[in-house]
Amino acid sequence: MGMNPLENFRMAFESLWGNKLRSFLALLGIVIGVFAVTAMISLGQMATAGITQDLEAVAGRSIFVQPNFNEGQDFSSAPIREEDLQALQALPVTVIPQLFTSIQYESKPGERRSMQLQGTPGDLPKLDPTNKIARGRYFTDLEARGGLAVAVLSDRAAKDLFPGREAVGQVARLYYPGGARIDLTVVGVLEPPSGIFGGFGSSATVYTPIQLIWNTSPTARRGEYAFVILPLKKGADAQQVTRQVQRIFESRYGKGKYQVQSTESFQGTLRSVTLILQALLGAIAGLSLLVGGIGIMNIMLVSVTERTREIGLRKALGATSGQIRQQFLIEAVVLTLVGGLLGVVLAAGLLLLITATVPFFKVYILSPTTVFLALAVSALVGLFFGVWPAARAAALDPIEALRYE
Amino acid sequence: MTPVVEMRGVTKVYRSGSSTRTVEVHALSGVDLVIYPGEYVALMGPSGSGKSTLMHIIGLLDSPTEGQYSLGGEPVRGLGEAQLARIRNQRVGFVFQAFFLLPRLTALHNVALPLVYRGLPAAERLKRARKALESVGLGDRLDHLPSELSGGQKQRVAIARALVQEPDLLLADEPTGNLDSKSSDEIMELFDALHRQGKTIVMVTHEPDVGARAKRIVRLRDGKVADGGMA
Ligand SMILES: Nc1ncnc2c1ncn2[C@@H]1O[C@H](COP(=O)(O)OP(=O)(O)O)[C@@H](O)[C@H]1O
Ligand SMILES: [Mg+2]
Repeated sequence: MGMNPLENFRMAFESLWGNKLRSFLALLGIVIGVFAVTAMISLGQMATAGITQDLEAVAGRSIFVQPNFNEGQDFSSAPIREEDLQALQALPVTVIPQLFTSIQYESKPGERRSMQLQGTPGDLPKLDPTNKIARGRYFTDLEARGGLAVAVLSDRAAKDLFPGREAVGQVARLYYPGGARIDLTVVGVLEPPSGIFGGFGSSATVYTPIQLIWNTSPTARRGEYAFVILPLKKGADAQQVTRQVQRIFESRYGKGKYQVQSTESFQGTLRSVTLILQALLGAIAGLSLLVGGIGIMNIMLVSVTERTREIGLRKALGATSGQIRQQFLIEAVVLTLVGGLLGVVLAAGLLLLITATVPFFKVYILSPTTVFLALAVSALVGLFFGVWPAARAAALDPIEALRYE
Repeated sequence: MTPVVEMRGVTKVYRSGSSTRTVEVHALSGVDLVIYPGEYVALMGPSGSGKSTLMHIIGLLDSPTEGQYSLGGEPVRGLGEAQLARIRNQRVGFVFQAFFLLPRLTALHNVALPLVYRGLPAAERLKRARKALESVGLGDRLDHLPSELSGGQKQRVAIARALVQEPDLLLADEPTGNLDSKSSDEIMELFDALHRQGKTIVMVTHEPDVGARAKRIVRLRDGKVADGGMA
């Protein structure tokens, strides 16, 4: 005795198929709910991936060391010194010390504007590939060591200094705030940063040899740097190296004087922020699932009332209350599962469309976990909201149901 | 020989109304009824005399308020819901006045329906259903929906659905009540044939010429057996 559970699925499909329009309307709530949840979760993952990629393109996998401004330190109280760089050389990183200061240029006769003068080693794009040359070249190591009066301009600086003209080959005339003048020959222009960081990342910066700033600036002190960028070598563990860098600076200067940060820790923060956003949006989308579930319950209750005869007949033919309950539960679950499947398919379509049209979303992500979760949740919604209608069907008295008026 | 149906003092009381004023309807009071295998019994009596109630109790769709009832020698008192369902499935075949076919299933699948609850594989169910339909002369209507069949054909499908169970007892509640006289005759001839094959049949009817075909008439009046309760 007892029946094959697959039999119930077949019967569920038959009965739902027999009532296509109503089944479809009942599904709609679930379709929208699952669609919303799936799209939210996947869009969150795609956004995280997009930001992470942009960040990597702009900053690579690097560690930054600078004075701890939170603790009241500044470039003169906590400079980075030559001997610190020596100590860092032992780690699996490229050491790129940098220096910067404010500089002015004449935008119109008699009117001065500020931009940033940044001292770097030569051949920077080779040391840190996130810097890309658009036109011309970067100044060489030799030029840098010699402190030659050469410059590479950021995209913005080139536009500000030489509006409407090719900057490469020109001489940039710049003034320190104290008044001293420097003339730098422009040898190259950098590419603007890519991705979402392109908007706010392109500051007007003039790159020049560190040696030149030391030679000419009234404030810079020879042998001291403002900060150091440490791109990680392949295979190096970001967290571990970050701790090693921290230890070097703490052992030399004590706790709290320098701040050591890695792009990876920044990504971690980013991820937790998107996770919170995802959870919030997911919860809102979950509400629509609840509404969808109530819709299913409503339809199932109507269906039980309408099929009183059928239920009575099945009982007369030997169905137990348990089998009737199972039949209606499975019907509800099949209904929500089909709805869930449609929702996932719709979400997949939307995500494809978004990746194809919105530049920020570069990768298409619809993880198997998300799909599995969406379907599991739809099945659970069916089970939960099917319980009451199924119980009512099971409790039906066959005599009442079969009474012929 | 063990009777198929053995009832002693069966009473059925329906209570309805509010908590302050209940109304009691004695649908059956003290019914004694014995039916042996192979009998063809017509259950007759005026409307409201308790025919359907008695039929439901015989078919285990309802239980007596008082009295003893054994089906095939087995007392049914105290059996659980699932056990009653199993006995219904294996030993009782119902035929109703209003056919009660599932409108979206073909004749073949309607007939196979009781076997679903026996856990038989689909191929076996359909094979037996086809045979049952052929035995009632509908071998050429297997894939028709109920809406594509005449009243007489629908009732023959319903009879095939009862036969496919190979029950100890066929219960028919006014099976010709919804049919014209020609279809009625055909259905009654089918029951005659089933009786000749040795089937035990209990048929509710209030039409005298239908009742006349049965070999025994049990008359009910106000919930009591007026005549023919004992073989
Ligand atoms: N569920 C019920 N509640 C109350 N009274 C009922 C119920 N079922 C049947 N009755 C009453 O029991 C009596 C017998 O009914 P029934 O067996 O259907 O008679 P018949 O089939 O002979 O016309 C009738 O008076 C009917 O009104
Ligand atoms: Mg009746």
